[in-house]
Amino acid sequence: MLFISCKQAYNPPIITSPGSYLVVEGVVNNGNDSTIIKLNYTVNLTNKIASSPVLNAIVSVQDDQNISYSLTGTTSGKYFITNLNLDNSRKYRLSIKTINNKQYYSDYVPVLNSPPIDSIYLSVSNNTVNVNSTAHDPTNKVQYYRWDFNETWIIHAAYFSYFKSNGITVLPRDLINDNIYQCWLSDTSSTIVLNSTSKFKQALLTNNIVTSFPLNSEKVANKYSILLRQYALSADAYSFWINLKKNTEKLGGIFDPQPSQINGNIHCETNPAEAVIGYISVGNVAIKRIFIDKQQLPFSIPNLPYSDCMIDTLLYRYFAPGAKIPVNQVNEFINYNNGATTIKIPIVAIQQPGGPILGYTASSPFCVDCTVRGSNKQPLFWK
Amino acid sequence: MRKRAYIISFYFLLLYQVVLAQQNNAVLISVNFQQTKVAQFVSELEAKSNYHFFYDPVKMDSLMVTLQVENKPIEFILEMAFKNTDYHFAISNQFIFLTKGRQIKTELPPGFAEIQKNNQLEKQANIVSDYTEEKDKKVLEATTENKIYEIGLKTNPIKPGNAILSGYVRNIKTGEAVVGASIYVASTKNGVATDQFGYFAISLPRGRHTLIIRALGMRDTRRQILFYADGKINIELTEQVNSLKEVKISADKVANVRSVELGVTRLDIKNIKQIPTAFGEADVLKVVLTLPGVTSVGEATTGFNVRGGAADENLILLDGATIYNPAHFFGFFAAFNPDLVKDIELYKSSIPEKFGGRLSSVLDITNREGNKKNFTGSAGIGLLTSRFNIEGPIIKDKTSFIFGARTTYSDWLLSALPEAYKHSSATFNDFNLDLSHQINDKNNIYLSSYLSNDQFRLNSDTTYAYSNRSIALKWKHNFNNKLYSVVTGGIDRYQYDISSKADPLTAYDLAFNINQTNFKADFNYYLTNKHTINFGLSSILYKINPGSFEPSGNQSLILSQIISPEQALESALYLGDKFDISPNFTLSAGIRYNIYNYLGAQTVDNYAPNLPKSQVNVLDSTTYKGGQIINTFAAPDIRISARYILGENLSIKAGYNTLHQYIHLLSNTTSISPTDVYKLSDPNIKPESSDQISMGIFKNAASNTIEMSVEIYYKRLNNYLDYKSGAVLLLNQHIERDVINTEGKAYGAEFLLKKTAGKLNGWLSYTYSRTLLRQNDPNAGELINGGSYYPANFDKPHSFNFTGNYKFTHRYSVSVDVAYSTGRPITLPIAKYEYGGSERVFYSDRNEYRIPDYFRSDFSLNIEGNHRVHQRTHNSWTIGVYNLTGRQNAYSTFFTEQSGVISGYKLSIFAAPIPFINYNIRF
Repeated sequence: MLFISCKQAYNPPIITSPGSYLVVEGVVNNGNDSTIIKLNYTVNLTNKIASSPVLNAIVSVQDDQNISYSLTGTTSGKYFITNLNLDNSRKYRLSIKTINNKQYYSDYVPVLNSPPIDSIYLSVSNNTVNVNSTAHDPTNKVQYYRWDFNETWIIHAAYFSYFKSNGITVLPRDLINDNIYQCWLSDTSSTIVLNSTSKFKQALLTNNIVTSFPLNSEKVANKYSILLRQYALSADAYSFWINLKKNTEKLGGIFDPQPSQINGNIHCETNPAEAVIGYISVGNVAIKRIFIDKQQLPFSIPNLPYSDCMIDTLLYRYFAPGAKIPVNQVNEFINYNNGATTIKIPIVAIQQPGGPILGYTASSPFCVDCTVRGSNKQPLFWK
Repeated sequence: MRKRAYIISFYFLLLYQVVLAQQNNAVLISVNFQQTKVAQFVSELEAKSNYHFFYDPVKMDSLMVTLQVENKPIEFILEMAFKNTDYHFAISNQFIFLTKGRQIKTELPPGFAEIQKNNQLEKQANIVSDYTEEKDKKVLEATTENKIYEIGLKTNPIKPGNAILSGYVRNIKTGEAVVGASIYVASTKNGVATDQFGYFAISLPRGRHTLIIRALGMRDTRRQILFYADGKINIELTEQVNSLKEVKISADKVANVRSVELGVTRLDIKNIKQIPTAFGEADVLKVVLTLPGVTSVGEATTGFNVRGGAADENLILLDGATIYNPAHFFGFFAAFNPDLVKDIELYKSSIPEKFGGRLSSVLDITNREGNKKNFTGSAGIGLLTSRFNIEGPIIKDKTSFIFGARTTYSDWLLSALPEAYKHSSATFNDFNLDLSHQINDKNNIYLSSYLSNDQFRLNSDTTYAYSNRSIALKWKHNFNNKLYSVVTGGIDRYQYDISSKADPLTAYDLAFNINQTNFKADFNYYLTNKHTINFGLSSILYKINPGSFEPSGNQSLILSQIISPEQALESALYLGDKFDISPNFTLSAGIRYNIYNYLGAQTVDNYAPNLPKSQVNVLDSTTYKGGQIINTFAAPDIRISARYILGENLSIKAGYNTLHQYIHLLSNTTSISPTDVYKLSDPNIKPESSDQISMGIFKNAASNTIEMSVEIYYKRLNNYLDYKSGAVLLLNQHIERDVINTEGKAYGAEFLLKKTAGKLNGWLSYTYSRTLLRQNDPNAGELINGGSYYPANFDKPHSFNFTGNYKFTHRYSVSVDVAYSTGRPITLPIAKYEYGGSERVFYSDRNEYRIPDYFRSDFSLNIEGNHRVHQRTHNSWTIGVYNLTGRQNAYSTFFTEQSGVISGYKLSIFAAPIPFINYNIRF
């Protein structure tokens, strides 16, 4: 049956949303770490930009004994506060008042702290690398978890460049300060990672897969690091997140459920019928980082994006077949201020031993300059 | 024996008016007859004994006796001479009476003295004829059209008034009962149809009549009778062998107009086989989908929706056994072997009183009885499946069996697929074994059994398996010409199992099963020619294991989770009467009283009244002991339909019926998947109910070869189950917290134009229908769409179907099938936002939008082998293309995130023209 089933792009008729809805994202951090709440409005599906920040709102964290902590707004719709140091025995909510005088509250929720991440390790099965984590809650209080993460890894360009053009002429490259061979690439999690121990006999989370990629991925071609953040969830919060995940990640199979409405714990006081998206939890966040060298994983030939890379030979005096007048290919392709249009970056010099430089081998920036894809500044945490 | 003798003696009494006593005479005689005629035979015996023979020379003139015996009594000689013939003898004192076709008994009945008080001949005849209801009396086998069969005790003159004629209609070749054959009496313009056993009973004025008998796939025939008194006649019909011009679609051409029922369709397997299907194998359920008022949520699903009902609101019966999952292989095949199915009947509106327990429809599938005369069989080979069946007599003319099996070998196809699907596998098979036995003329028993298995793995480590199992024993007993009963007992089971063993720490086994034990007694009483009464009772004991989730292997950390089993008893008593008020006006009215008991052992949560059923609103819980009645729902179902004939070929009908349903399928997905859960009504989940009013106009034209009908209906649904957002249905101990009761309404109009004869035949149907639901009780939890009406998942307003077959010659015919329907409702994303590191979508109100319209056309060419009747095997080919235009019909649309970007996708199944070929062989 499968060869006759097919998945195609589908663009529904343009649907104009009847309005825009408030979207609240963030965790109230009860400890010293900063609490960052992002406020946005939904946008129409046809909009190029996915977020429309809510500016100049009055945002505060309130406890059930009328103590309030105000958050400071930024121009990107983020509202923050540090060092909240909340009382773990009280319940808290978020209050939002927008400039059009709409008042929103989240439900009062108790503080739920995440147990620490016990370990993070990589495992390989079927040529897939799984990033696993383990955790346990000795108090048996936390049964639901959510994770997000930042991944960072070293990439190399296809070719090591010893030369550089200043636009007019080609000079030797400063290999210390102008390295374009090794860069760092980063990514953040884009899927909602959830798990629960409620089905297990102990509040012990083993072999929890946070993310996976192929063994020949560029991520583990050199060195890889992941920073994992672990959040504890209540049963109610878990159902919000799993519902959100089901709606946007888990659809498409024949047996998958239909989309359903998303209900968070935030309500509009001014207009109770208005939908508000988001769930506010209160608690600390467990954080852990690991590094993995490629030697720690089984050998695999990395699948690099350089299969189209080719080295050209570019000469100062190039005679095309049958031509009487030579062409300066170095100016034509490398020296971008001397008329080069399809820019190439020089790799090594072409010369007879002891003779003058006749030209350079060169390739496209994508193949030579890793800063096209990443940053050549080592991140502060890297070791 | 004594009783028998006394009964039969009336013949003697009436015909000869003499009373004689039997006497023994031990004279031994030797004879040697070679092709001896009656005169010589008699004179020789008279010479050798002191007996005198009495006989009618005209009637006896075809008697030829060939016999050689030494020193035997005369009784023995006569017995030998007339053995296996239609001739009989009777000895009384010195007299021997020879008769043809009727035996004379020479003994007086006890109680004769009282009878004799009535000197009136006719009166005697009347009383006597009741005594003729003896067991072993041979029923008249009427085989010839031009002969006049005398029925009942002959009287002269023929008495005025009515008597009852009954009997069986059977297939002459196989001995199988012909269901739905119509027996039409031309002189009185009334008629009757045979029931599922081929039995009929009709009240007729005494006198001479011509019976016209018509049946599906059988040659029309007639029988002439001279009807004296109550009696029986068995009629054998000849199969229509590849008729060129006539392919009948309706059992009775006039039934469309004359029957009382509305919304009933009967199709026989020949019609079903004409319709092209995806893999070339005739599919019972795909044909149902071409009928007006029947839709499905999409391809690759055999769940179907009848007049705004959900897929679980159809009672699917295979020879009386309830089939819970009627599909194989994700729904690509119906779970019924097309070589065994005889016919199907779909009741959409006038549901007979004997059926109940589902809201929308009854699909009654009947398998053939095994051939009682010869061993025959068939086999078919297709791209993905093969099938085989064999049938034959165990005791000739009395006992027969039929066995069918089907299996798939689709793994070769899956392994030829790209890497992504390579590790998938799918297998299925099904088996039927049915026995039928005729104990005697009044008692028949039928044993039917069914087993289906499915197992598949969709490129993951999770294996899905499901199975239907049923066994049923049916006993049909005729009390007399007017009353018969069918008593059925059976066990049905449906189970599925999901397991994953890849990771030893999380290896699990999930199992679900439903068992039902049925008992049913149905009675049919032909009271007078104006009243036919149906009554009976039924009882179903359900046992459901709603799910067990268990660790698999020692290392597994899975916590065993077993949802407590459920038990319930659903019983019903019913009574219905078909009342012919006048020749033109017939009313059928009945009542079915349902009693449902939810039984322990069970722990039931008690929720605070008028608050949503959620964990925080649990007051306490009550524990009940095993077998204890937890609660009872009782409600009557009303079934009424009426027909009024306006003209020879025109009638109007109206009906009203109510139905209740106590077992619910919980499914959060668009199609029925094998992982759905059945739930019984309990104190927290009310039974679903519906009532429907319908009306129709029926017209036949062009000598009943064209049938037209228009039917309209309006239906109300109560306590229809829908789900809260993000509901968890599997392994949920407290399912009532994730479902909501909605109320609904469904209405529509169905148009059907059918051509039943000619080179071109087929049907054209158009249906306009709506199904709307509403959840406006704020106390029930969330309001869906703010408490206003929203379309149900399967609401498809416009639906058009054409199914046609054109026969070029005896051997070649083409079939075309065209289907169009409005797209199914869908909840669409209307806005987007960023959350959890990714772009996400905000969905519209539930079912606010629709997927693109559905259109499909199929084509097939059927090639029959040569048509010599007497050859070892008959074979045929079916070649065709499914989805001729290759339209990529949306099965579903969905929006999913990949690399942080939301994209919309449309999932199509059968998205390209699919050629198929099938080879069938019959032996």
